[in-house]
Amino acid sequence: MNEALLSVRGVSVSFGGVKVLDGIDLDVKPGEIRGLIGPNGAGKTTMLNVICGIHPPHQGDVLLDGVSIVGRKPSAIARLGLGRTFQTSQLFRGMTVLENLMTGLHHRTTAGFVAASLNLRRYREEEEAAEEAARQALEFIGMSAFADRPASALSFGQQRVIEIARTLISDPKVVLLDEPAVGLSLNRLAEFDTLLRRIRDEKGVTLILIEHVIRLVMDVCDQVTVLSSGRRIAEGTPDAVRNDPGVIEAYLGKELRARHSAS
Amino acid sequence: MALFGRRNVLVAMLLFAAVAPTFLNAYYLFVANTILIYVLLAIGLNILVGYAGQLAFANAAMFGIGAYGTGLLQVHFGWPFWLAFPLGALIATMVGLAISLPALRLSGLYLALSTLAFAQFTQWVFLNWEPVTFGAGGFKTPPISFAPLPISKTLGLYYLSLILVMVLFALAQNLVRSRIGRAFVAVRDGEIAAESLGVDLLRYKALAFGISGFYAGIAGGLYSAMLNFVSPEGFDLFQMVIHKAMIIVGGLGSIVGSVLGAGTLVFVLEALRKVKGVQEIAFGAILVGFILFMPGGIIGYLKEKVRGWEEPLHRARASRRPPVAATSESSEVRP
Repeated sequence: MNEALLSVRGVSVSFGGVKVLDGIDLDVKPGEIRGLIGPNGAGKTTMLNVICGIHPPHQGDVLLDGVSIVGRKPSAIARLGLGRTFQTSQLFRGMTVLENLMTGLHHRTTAGFVAASLNLRRYREEEEAAEEAARQALEFIGMSAFADRPASALSFGQQRVIEIARTLISDPKVVLLDEPAVGLSLNRLAEFDTLLRRIRDEKGVTLILIEHVIRLVMDVCDQVTVLSSGRRIAEGTPDAVRNDPGVIEAYLGKELRARHSAS
Repeated sequence: MALFGRRNVLVAMLLFAAVAPTFLNAYYLFVANTILIYVLLAIGLNILVGYAGQLAFANAAMFGIGAYGTGLLQVHFGWPFWLAFPLGALIATMVGLAISLPALRLSGLYLALSTLAFAQFTQWVFLNWEPVTFGAGGFKTPPISFAPLPISKTLGLYYLSLILVMVLFALAQNLVRSRIGRAFVAVRDGEIAAESLGVDLLRYKALAFGISGFYAGIAGGLYSAMLNFVSPEGFDLFQMVIHKAMIIVGGLGSIVGSVLGAGTLVFVLEALRKVKGVQEIAFGAILVGFILFMPGGIIGYLKEKVRGWEEPLHRARASRRPPVAATSESSEVRP
């Protein structure tokens, strides 16, 4: 009936009388890379926080693979196959890179208190498999050499990429990326395009991407949704959105829009 | 393996502890037993504070609950020590789990204050619920015996403590290297990120509080049996400060650090016991000194200066390490 993998239906959120999101709909198909753009304060990050369960919406519903996830704890939503990264690096600083990635497997592993503290065989096997998976994930992003470095010793850009790998390691269905290109130098951006496409093609992960680096959005996204002041003002292919008068107005203002279309 | 690496030093310490009773006099044996009890307290508290990052101040109270539980079950119900002891530890575990409930809503200083309030409340109960706790004067616990074994109470209790320390040390060490230990550190280093990876905050905070309650409860039971006497002042705020100081001196987020910190501080406190008033001053000076100059504690120093003291949060598989060091460093520096 509905082929969307992630479906947002009429979601509204207000903070103290200010409507941050106002009846937003969003349908993301499996295997899509969806861009979510908009001027500052448009409600993009709030949107991600609603989807991953940090802010419950005041109205509306969010469906992941046909199942409503509104009202569940963020950890429970993560277990259903929704991963995300954050605007600022959220690596665990007291761990090595490898241990960070192994933590990404938390909900795919099951060893309990007894098995772990008694060092039972079942737990040891699971632990070895987790380490192997973590090493493969590092290979995927070409950072195998960093396995045993403390996470705090990495550059900001490296931390962002490790964080994406940490989310991917548990085979999520959908990953939300909040400004992943922040802190990347211009010549790394091209590699980043490739990485995002490889995540979609090789891992089969659907991506939703908030990004201010418009070039990246235009290059990799199949569909782009534009938010402004909590409303969805446009949706379509990157080219269609780029030429949408409403979008140009939201970004540049009315007067500039006139000049833009004149030129 | 490095000669003065972690494993060798631990084995040497264990051997020393095992043969110590043959040449220590009664007083030093008492000090040694005290160290063993504080090792348990420090390990439990380090899991809660050093690993899971919960700034709680109820450890001395749970130590007291273990001691009172073990003692009172013997006194009021005439139960044998061997039954009262595990039950006392179980009660302390339950209390630990119960005080984890506010911890889900509070963090940092607010958690510190609410657990401190709980500790003061426990102290008040010990002092004022006289029909049950015997008030400020405390009470004597029945002497315990190791009946079928031909050893004295002092020696028996020392070896019981040593065995419990060995077992509970190994359990804690295994635990912190597992996915559970990593979940604790994840909660400490970033709650939101931990949740986004499927770590249930409620579950892991409660588990950390429960573990620290259990370790403190076991320590309390042993303590009551060692002194044959339980009174409220042993479990006051100063006691709590001692526990905190142990994990700071030893090193936060390290099980071995807990052992080293407990040993060091009990030794220093006992050495200064004869000089009235100096104890607190020296204690404060040590604490300030460590916070200012060695924030990583003894273990932090060892990790930095001595080979073989690394403490990964996973099981190191030396055999299957890919050749990292020589190959890439420069060739593969990415974003």
